[in-house]
Amino acid sequence: MTTRATIVGAGGLGGPLALCLGAAGVELTIVDPDVVEVSNLHRQIHFTQSDIGTPKAARLADAVVAAGGSARGFQTRWRAEDAEDISGDADLIVDGCDDPATKFAVADWAIAAGRPYVIAAAIRYGGNIVVGAPGHACYRCLFEEPPLDAGTCSEVGVLGPVVGAIGGVAGALAIGLAAGDRTHAGSIFVFDDLRRSQEPRIVRFAPRPGCSACARAAIPPGEHAIKVAR
Amino acid sequence: MPTIRIPSALRTLTGGASDIDVNAATVREALAVLDERHPGIAAKILDGAGMVKPFIRIYVGPDDIGSLSGLDTNVGERDEIAIIPAIAGGGDA
Repeated sequence: MTTRATIVGAGGLGGPLALCLGAAGVELTIVDPDVVEVSNLHRQIHFTQSDIGTPKAARLADAVVAAGGSARGFQTRWRAEDAEDISGDADLIVDGCDDPATKFAVADWAIAAGRPYVIAAAIRYGGNIVVGAPGHACYRCLFEEPPLDAGTCSEVGVLGPVVGAIGGVAGALAIGLAAGDRTHAGSIFVFDDLRRSQEPRIVRFAPRPGCSACARAAIPPGEHAIKVAR
Repeated sequence: MPTIRIPSALRTLTGGASDIDVNAATVREALAVLDERHPGIAAKILDGAGMVKPFIRIYVGPDDIGSLSGLDTNVGERDEIAIIPAIAGGGDA
């Protein structure tokens, strides 16, 4: 049976995510509102100069297809209102966008819809990856609200190879989730400064009492073991 | 003395320093010492009421201070205090 995934963001993280998931046989829907700019090319190495001015989602889908995978691209921002239309058939959802509110919306939808998910972020020399699955502590158990003043890569910069490395690890974790591996569900991988250390700090976090997302979860934290037993 | 691990996103406030040793007995004291040396950094971590902001988690060793005594969690000579913020960057996606 074919596994389907939505990739939110076709930039520095979305590129390696889509290429490795597509090459692994995952059928992809790629969502990104932006077009390729010349300033993207040092870190979004799945694009070329001839892509400048064209939609990132479509060009990344083209790259996946050229490598033998299956993908479609939508030039739009992923929104909860459209989630069923865009991601309703997805077995998992993977975020690599640069908008904090969208990251939280993706996680909230995945938790409510009972889908496993990966939320990846990178800035300057490091980043983090949160792995979630139904029945486990969720993204909002860890971070209650989006940051108000978080800088984006275009504002504070990111080292080109950082997004490739973090996107690749996020892709491996997503493939694990797609295969049913829940080893890291409810964990955050923290890459502090990839110039100095390539080993992440892996922290498993606990469900947070009163978590608003878990209150709407298809499978609340702690029930995954029961579901498996049945 | 305990060491505070400064996340990449806040290192512009520490002159690039990633690990800062502080003479402190609790997480609260450690953050106060950090702010004395690098003014303004506590305001990035704590809200106006002195609580940890909702998009930041603080760990002492492997433990979230939320599961211990919060900011009053004791820290020992060899403890590492890790500040983990939610970050937004996606490589400009």
